[in-house]
Amino acid sequence: MQQTLEDFYKVIRAAGINVSPSDTIETSRSVALVGYTNRNILKNAFQVSLAKSETEQDLVGECFDQFFSFDTFSAANDPHSDNTASGSDGINDKQETKSEQNETPQAESELAKMLLEGDTASLATEMKKAAREVGLTDIWFFTQKSLYAQKIMQKMGLRDLQNDIAAMGKGDCPSSIAQAGELRNAKEYLSESVKDFVEQQLSMYGRNATRNLREDHLKSSKLSNIEQRDFHVMHDLVRKMAKRLSTQYSKKKKQDKRGQLDFRKTLRSNVAYDGVMFETYWKTKYIDKPRLLVMCDISGSVQAYARFLLLFLHSLNDVMQRIDSYVFTGNLIPVKDIFEKYPVEQAIDKIMADHGMGGSDYGTTLLDLDDQCMDDIDNKTTVLILGDARNNFLAPRTEVMQTLHLRAKRVIWLNPEPATFWNAGDSEMYKYKPYCHMAKTCNTLDHLERMLDDLLKAATSGT
Amino acid sequence: MKELYKDKFTSVDDIQQLFEGAKYICSEQIATCVYIAHNLQKPIMVEGPAGVGKTELAKTTAQILDVPLVRLQCYEGLDESKALYEWKYAKQLLYTQLLKDKLSELLEGATGLEQSMERIHSHDDLFFSETFLEPRPLYKALHEELGCVLLIDEVDKSDPEFEAFLLEVLSEFQVSIPELGTIKAKIKPLVFLTSNNSREMSDALKRRCLHLYVPYPDEKLETRILSSRVPELSETLRKEVVSFVQQVRELDLKKVPSISETIDWAKTLLLLHSEQLEPAMVKQTLNVLLKFETDIDAMGDHLRTFINKAHKRSGH
Repeated sequence: MQQTLEDFYKVIRAAGINVSPSDTIETSRSVALVGYTNRNILKNAFQVSLAKSETEQDLVGECFDQFFSFDTFSAANDPHSDNTASGSDGINDKQETKSEQNETPQAESELAKMLLEGDTASLATEMKKAAREVGLTDIWFFTQKSLYAQKIMQKMGLRDLQNDIAAMGKGDCPSSIAQAGELRNAKEYLSESVKDFVEQQLSMYGRNATRNLREDHLKSSKLSNIEQRDFHVMHDLVRKMAKRLSTQYSKKKKQDKRGQLDFRKTLRSNVAYDGVMFETYWKTKYIDKPRLLVMCDISGSVQAYARFLLLFLHSLNDVMQRIDSYVFTGNLIPVKDIFEKYPVEQAIDKIMADHGMGGSDYGTTLLDLDDQCMDDIDNKTTVLILGDARNNFLAPRTEVMQTLHLRAKRVIWLNPEPATFWNAGDSEMYKYKPYCHMAKTCNTLDHLERMLDDLLKAATSGT
Repeated sequence: MKELYKDKFTSVDDIQQLFEGAKYICSEQIATCVYIAHNLQKPIMVEGPAGVGKTELAKTTAQILDVPLVRLQCYEGLDESKALYEWKYAKQLLYTQLLKDKLSELLEGATGLEQSMERIHSHDDLFFSETFLEPRPLYKALHEELGCVLLIDEVDKSDPEFEAFLLEVLSEFQVSIPELGTIKAKIKPLVFLTSNNSREMSDALKRRCLHLYVPYPDEKLETRILSSRVPELSETLRKEVVSFVQQVRELDLKKVPSISETIDWAKTLLLLHSEQLEPAMVKQTLNVLLKFETDIDAMGDHLRTFINKAHKRSGH
């Protein structure tokens, strides 16, 4: 049973639930406690011990149902089982009469016997045993399917079976040839069943591996190369990322340095000084949250990136409270309302349709910023600019950047172009760069995550 | 806990029956969870929407085991001094003042600083003993002679710092007080943590707990709960009420009514001597079931169809 439990934990892990060694120990204890007599109680025990949230609870239930359904083989064989059984009965009779004469070759391997007897139960057991021996639980990708199926068949004694078939087919005894044909059919069923079994196992054990591979790939590929159909996967990824970042950094409490004296705390910590209050504590606490102003370029030149930057912006909007989001081509347009009103894809489509395309004009945008938002920007605000700084040879208005630099806590520029292109063509990046606390290339999700990690860390640590 | 109450909670069925006797109808999952928690001495993290009986579960368990229920309500800003213990500073100060004379008596005849210090040391820690300790819920729970049920309510409202502090309490059932040393539970309490999921709890805390999600009950379970909680309600009306509430839950509402609201509503209807659901009556009492003006407005159009369906379900 231990082995079965371990396999089950593997399935649970493959389903994307984190199961630590101590979890498995605790769960095994729970399972030992409730016993195996009642399927429902066992399932409940797994659910309460392994799952850590509502969705995980459902997942564990699903995995349980899938894993502990033992009828794979017989189900796969069912349509033929009557046929095989009756056929093999006949053959068995003949075989007995023949074997007395001991003249013709006959089925000798265990596998062949089982197949002829139509003994699905022991076949299933054999298959499971073979599967365990070849390590089927390590299957990850669909490309490994036939390999594992082949391995299992070999383990179950395919070679002997084939020898048997060949030997019986050679003779000229009609019953022996008929039996060979029967075995050949049975072999087909067997191979089908094994394939089904492997497929089913893959769906349990490999579930996460394929997804992880794809997510890894998406994280590190350039945003401009990611295709539309991966958009929803990206959405999940970005959301996860934004959520993690924001829970990590959003709530930080700080003790105020004035207000009402926290007498108890002060007294307690100053007992050591004979009650002379060297260290004072104050009752008022304030929650220090980073305030973020994000401007995202959605002009033609960054078209390929814009959708993903907007996606990120939307996710940030979902998880952070104090964030102001703007998009721009020639003018600064607040998009917070749109993000709040529409679901992500619609919101992005709407923004792109209403405001997208056209050449970018950083100068006017900065003037807009100066006009509309400069009053709100203080030494707690971080300004994040997403854009390529391609200004179409218009006035760059660096003086606004200068004020921004002075007023804001940090100004960060994320440019999708590599740094070598920053001074080429109409890019004004070199003019803006001196006024940024940080200016970096950012064209993959990994970049984005790292940048934001830095950003939020700095914003909350109070530097 | 386990040793003292061996004869209680012997099987999952047993738990279900005991709870039913205490008027708490629990699903098999809840019973299994309590059974495991009791036997393996693990805390239970109960999640689910407000009003499905999370707190009630802890109360009922305490009632059945016949042990006190120690409740710690969490809120933002809750810290050790309010959850675990605090020194009675005023008393300490007062005593030092009062005992000033005694102290000088004590020091009489001592020559030199060293000797004086030694004398004081021989009466060491008087001021940091349990006499001057103000016990708070967690400390109380660890100190109960006969064990207890510890309910840490709405743990998601507390700060991450407090959550980290809970880890030691929940896994070892012990706490460290610098002045007194480590204090171990006399009898390990059965711990329930409830959460409304307003904040994601840390994995470390989750890992130490059994996870129990209590959803809204289905029609069958809710009828059973209602018959146990409001037994005076007629069979037809009970079915109608349950059917109606179940339909209301399908709507897109700000606050979906949960079991406690169903029970309140049933009691209201009983008080008003209703025989069956009537549109006028339902409209008047809808505020018991729904807590937001917008939700009550949203009900407007559906009211009649829901009532008709409820009548059909009850066989009228």
